[in-house]
Amino acid sequence: MKRSSDRASEVAADFCEPKAKRLHRVTRRVDGIFLLIMAILGGLGLFLLMPGGRRPIAIAGVFISAAATALLVYALVVKLAQDAHMVAFSIFAVIGFWGALRMITHSRPVYSALYFILVVISTTGMLFLAEAEFLAGSLLIIYAGAILVTYLFVIMLASQSGGGPASYDKKAREPFIGVLSGFVLLALIAGQTLQHGADLPTHEPMVEGAQKVAPVATTLLTTYMIGIQIVGVLLLAAMVGAVAIARRQPHPEEELAA
Amino acid sequence: MLTAYLLVGAMFFTLGLVGFVTRRNLIIMFLCTELMFQGIVVNLVGFARYPLSGGPGVEGQAFGLFLLSIAAAEAALGLALVVLMFRYRGSLDSNTWIFLRDE
Repeated sequence: MKRSSDRASEVAADFCEPKAKRLHRVTRRVDGIFLLIMAILGGLGLFLLMPGGRRPIAIAGVFISAAATALLVYALVVKLAQDAHMVAFSIFAVIGFWGALRMITHSRPVYSALYFILVVISTTGMLFLAEAEFLAGSLLIIYAGAILVTYLFVIMLASQSGGGPASYDKKAREPFIGVLSGFVLLALIAGQTLQHGADLPTHEPMVEGAQKVAPVATTLLTTYMIGIQIVGVLLLAAMVGAVAIARRQPHPEEELAA
Repeated sequence: MLTAYLLVGAMFFTLGLVGFVTRRNLIIMFLCTELMFQGIVVNLVGFARYPLSGGPGVEGQAFGLFLLSIAAAEAALGLALVVLMFRYRGSLDSNTWIFLRDE
């Protein structure tokens, strides 16, 4: 699965050893230069979309990111069009990519939370495709239903007076170094995955029919039962701690030194 | 395809990392932590779907469920702390707590 910022790693891997077994599957015109252009466009678009720039810069960032996504979709259609499972997966991945991109670059926290709900929905789709229905359903309910609602309540409680984004939301902090370090990390992870990913001895899970939740439940309740009990105690402690923390009111004599 | 799930997980994790480093709003920094969790969940479910050794790959899903509960506990505690920090400073800027650095 190709993403728009890990092409540099694949180009580097191409220089290290010939990736013939992968390149011969990507037949028409999706070669190293194409992938490098897609990586550079993706990184440049992310950098331009960071808050702090003026509006024409942001619009340029949107167009460059859209160009990178178009190249990505072209690469996916060329490479993966024969497998319906991978087409649905790539749709969810592109939606998740755009949701995450807009989430980390939007200047208003409420929109970031809403784009994160989009990311959770795309992750749920990918989990459904991976036959992890129980985890997908609980992810949707707990994340998008409980945790994100809590986030939205806290955003509402901790909002500044006056409309518009706050001053600290309008500028990103060290955007170039941030994007570059993310690039390098993604290049490392993706390079290692693409180099050795085909050598992993993967098997098909031996679960037949509709019994996909029963093995998970059996394993949770027999092998990881202690873990379940500990997680229960942890949730209780977190609940008590959150109530105790949020009840404190700042007193004047406790004023911290600025 | 296992590498598909691994690469998407790496993408989400890296985007969460970039957002965490780049933004100054405390709540958005916590949201980027949750985005990193999403990447990890996709990674784990990839290994649950294509297990490395034979047998039903349920360990990835079990780990994902534990991760979900840990993320919920962390979100609750982190948001309580954010509310308390907002009460002290009146602002969600992380630069107001910059004196906590050890110089």
